Amino acid sequence: MRFVELLVAAVLLAGLYAMMAYGLGLIYGVLRIVNLAHGGMIMAGAYLGLALHDRLGMDPLLSLPLIAVVSWSFGWLLYRFVVRHLPRGATGGAQSLLLLFGVWLVMRNAVYLIFTGNDQAIRTAWSTHAWKLAGVSLPVNRVIVFGLAMLALGGLHFLLTRTYVGKAIRAVAQNPDSCTRAGIDVEKVYALTFGLGSALAGVAGLLGATIFSFNPSFGSVELLKSFVVVVMGGLGSVAGTASAALVLALVEVFAILVLPSYLTGAVGFVLLVLVLVLRPGGLFGQKVLG
Amino acid sequence: MRKLLLILALTFACKKPPEPAKSNVTVGATLPLTGAEARIGGFYKEGYELAFEQQSAKGGLSLGGKLVPVTLVLQDDTSTQATAVALADQLINSAKVDALLGTYSSHLVEAQSAIAEENRIPYVNGGGGASEIYQRNYKYLFGLMAPVELLGEALMGWIDDQQSQNKLPKPARISLVWENTAHGKDFRKGVTAFAAKHKGQYEVVVDESFELSAKDFSALLNKVKASNADIFLADAHLPDYITMHRQYVTAGLCHKVISYGARGSEKQAAEALGQKNVEYVLSAVWWNQQLGTKGLTKAFVDAFQARYKRAPEWYQALAYETARALFTAMEQAGTADKEKVREKLASFSGDSILPEGKLSFPSAQGQQAHYAFVVQQNQPDGTSPIVWPKAVANAPGVAPNPDCAAAQ
Repeated sequence: MRFVELLVAAVLLAGLYAMMAYGLGLIYGVLRIVNLAHGGMIMAGAYLGLALHDRLGMDPLLSLPLIAVVSWSFGWLLYRFVVRHLPRGATGGAQSLLLLFGVWLVMRNAVYLIFTGNDQAIRTAWSTHAWKLAGVSLPVNRVIVFGLAMLALGGLHFLLTRTYVGKAIRAVAQNPDSCTRAGIDVEKVYALTFGLGSALAGVAGLLGATIFSFNPSFGSVELLKSFVVVVMGGLGSVAGTASAALVLALVEVFAILVLPSYLTGAVGFVLLVLVLVLRPGGLFGQKVLG
Repeated sequence: MRKLLLILALTFACKKPPEPAKSNVTVGATLPLTGAEARIGGFYKEGYELAFEQQSAKGGLSLGGKLVPVTLVLQDDTSTQATAVALADQLINSAKVDALLGTYSSHLVEAQSAIAEENRIPYVNGGGGASEIYQRNYKYLFGLMAPVELLGEALMGWIDDQQSQNKLPKPARISLVWENTAHGKDFRKGVTAFAAKHKGQYEVVVDESFELSAKDFSALLNKVKASNADIFLADAHLPDYITMHRQYVTAGLCHKVISYGARGSEKQAAEALGQKNVEYVLSAVWWNQQLGTKGLTKAFVDAFQARYKRAPEWYQALAYETARALFTAMEQAGTADKEKVREKLASFSGDSILPEGKLSFPSAQGQQAHYAFVVQQNQPDGTSPIVWPKAVANAPGVAPNPDCAAAQ
């Protein structure tokens, strides 16, 4: 029974990790930019959800579409007015890291000013409810997060493989110069992708806020975990990201059987180092948004 | 003769001239007003400000028969050690403050107090409870928070009383989880020492630490569940209490006694978790406003309520008392001279709003105050009466947790 409970806990945790990592992986896969503002978007999604919940009484599930749209718009504007002006390639890496880190700091301080640094929590009717299945507790909020993570995986897969926009995104990810010659508006695809990655981060932040208490520092640990998941999954692979999230969650949760609890959080980083040394392309090989 | 006159002249010339009477006493302090501890930092600010306002209303500090205005220079250490240290250095060497009041949270106090010691300036704090801070035998460091070990002991004192009334099984199985900080280690020490002293009555079946500000406790709680313990004792800061207890509830856990150390009765926690889910949670704190039925404590509670339109919690009380202790020492010394104030604090013994009504900084404990914690328990009506120690208790407390029987 204990094994089953741990397995369930790991699978549900994987849903959250995957949700947090999709956006980071997508933006890196297409734009080759490590979006350090991803942590800020996660935090912003949480606070936006809090504002809608506390001031308008809106349930986080109902505010999901709104937060997705707002986050997408923010990401799109961020790309159009800031990120697109950065140099690309090896020389632009450091500049984009610094700039997006700066964006994150500005976002964090704006939240300090508006909401103060106090810890916040979103409490809904289902925050402390759980379903029982064969004696195993299934926390409702975690099941919802897992379900949405699966939906996002399916949706992203459909978008990237079955739609014109998705094919354009994949083509730009593979060779932007050829795409320009073939008539694809590469800048538009970049802006769209940056917006999509930001929307996924905002939604992940909102979902995280229904599980954890949070303050303006929220997003830092989440960014690190997302980074581990994206690198392990193979940069640019959506299915790889989901699988890596499961591997990370399984390792972290089952580590409690052999390690003190306070060390289980570090297991993921040990795993990251091992993957980088033994399989630099990720556990499932490097793919371009396949 | 000439030589003698020359020596005398040189002696008088080298002697330090008497210090001119101060026209203003400046006290420096930093608090975590932003960052992880911002909420609590805000509470401490309220306590400091009330103490300074009251002292200013009296015309300032009475030093050598003369009233001298006293001002507070308060800065935000952003809940980080590096900033707390840098600001303390700046307050001492640039702002030239006469004394420092401490910040909140053991790890910040630990780092900041080293700067005060280096610069030989009194550092009085009500925000660092970990005993290892005081084991360094610093001369200028004074702490008003009783050691966290006593917190664990106080909880166990009430549990022991319940067990003696056959309300809890013997031996009682304890699941003990603690944050991996000096605070958590002291808590663990208090509980395990008590259990070891009462052989055959208690069995610690889980003894695990967790990372501060961790996000997922499902694996740890799974271990707690598998242990089939009767008592769940955790030591956590407020955000971890909220996150962990949410997962505790959804995991379907219920124990005959449940505690998160000093956390449990906070209004914010009840809002985040739901009143029903925090029922019967036991907590031990350094102070409780229900102690304020007479004397100094009542005067503080009344003044706080008049100023902030709500009841004070232990955070504000500790901060208020910290500032008051420093003022009293300065007045007793008759000067703001750092060495004289330090000496006065070292031999300090005075009335206090703290639980036993007296405050001192025993040198045998590294100048950390020692007094009994107040144990309180959340009730279904939203109140948290004092249940231990018996001398100040205003309710007996409830054990075993009736909600567990209802859930089964």
